[in-house]
Amino acid sequence: MKTRESCLICQIVANRVPSYKIYEDDLTLAILDINGANPGHCFVIPKNHYPIIEQVPDAELANLFSVANKISSAIFENLKVQGTNIFVANGIPAGQTVAHFMINVIPRKENDGINLQWKAKQLSQEEMSTVELKLKEQIQNVGVGKIEKTEKPETAAEKAKIPPISDDDEDDYFMRQTKRIP
Amino acid sequence: MPEQQVPQQQMSGEQIKALQEKIKQMSPEELKEFQKKQCIFCQIVSGKVQSKKVYEDDDVIAVLDVNPANPGHILIMPKEHYSIMPQIPYEDIEHIFMVTKALSNASLRALGVQGSNIIVANGVAAGQRAQHFMVHLIPRKENDNIQFQVPQKTIPEQELQKVRKALSESLGAKAEESEEKMTAVPLIRKQKVVEAEFKEKKEPRKRAKKKEVKKETKTKGKQKKANEGINLDDIAKVLGPG
Repeated sequence: MKTRESCLICQIVANRVPSYKIYEDDLTLAILDINGANPGHCFVIPKNHYPIIEQVPDAELANLFSVANKISSAIFENLKVQGTNIFVANGIPAGQTVAHFMINVIPRKENDGINLQWKAKQLSQEEMSTVELKLKEQIQNVGVGKIEKTEKPETAAEKAKIPPISDDDEDDYFMRQTKRIP
Repeated sequence: MPEQQVPQQQMSGEQIKALQEKIKQMSPEELKEFQKKQCIFCQIVSGKVQSKKVYEDDDVIAVLDVNPANPGHILIMPKEHYSIMPQIPYEDIEHIFMVTKALSNASLRALGVQGSNIIVANGVAAGQRAQHFMVHLIPRKENDNIQFQVPQKTIPEQELQKVRKALSESLGAKAEESEEKMTAVPLIRKQKVVEAEFKEKKEPRKRAKKKEVKKETKTKGKQKKANEGINLDDIAKVLGPG
């Protein structure tokens, strides 16, 4: 299990910090947000420590969103709401505040003070085409992962092979970052 | 819902009633056909309406939003018509979000952005405007004038307990129900293989990037050219400890 001492979410996963758990399996934990936007607002979290979505391995990511979907259904069935949002903030400009990837599942009612709308920006056809081409090219490079539909539960031995993230790397990185700032 | 399928036309109350009646009498197959005909996104899928496609496979299509929150705003949709997420089979959900992850990664590399938002709205109250399920992927930069408001409320302990009980029981019951399915098609599939492939593809590039990053520190100011040399760790670690 990839964990980090300094991460609050990892502490919650390890049961060292109490939380309102609503779902748990080998890879994923879901807890209620005690300062949620609405009652039932919850976080779906990978048990392993990954700061951003790009770092979450495909199998774990698939499980996370599968769980988020189950929770969304459970919210519809149990909490008398009129909708749900799935919301992910990935990176600081996107509003991410905790360095542990998480999916917000938010129950919605009319006029509940939540706003996930945006103002449309006007782009020229040229700009749109440039963006289209750049994305098309990069998605080829990145590739889309496939989940093999075969039976293969993760064994303890395999789990043990995953090396822990060293905190040193991160410290080094912060040192480098501070040096880069003029 | 199907009766809201014709938003572009103003209809009288009687016409709406007649339409509702007609819809009620349709067989599920007819209803599906009807929905497809009315849904602009189904027409995008079938190619009848033009779009800027950035990705397509057998089940999923991703196009640029014509009214983007930011340049590179992508809509990721199942080709099949579903209105909301709970209707979608879970294999498809998994696949849709794998595509989302890959596109998020691609936009970090292609557009010089520093993050992304992933948003799904299920239901009008949640801000859903289209009748076709879709995932919004919005690339983000500092000061891009997008302000999402997710207020923090203090939820009373009692309420939390109540909600926790209702949801955990519901989810627990579901987990048991779907246990048979899960042994047939477990959620954890060939993780090792997938990871190994991923690493093989990624590692050489990553190393190359690190070099570029070092160069950048020396030649500040000319960093923008090196968009492709984006290092995910940079974006991740700048978040600081959790």
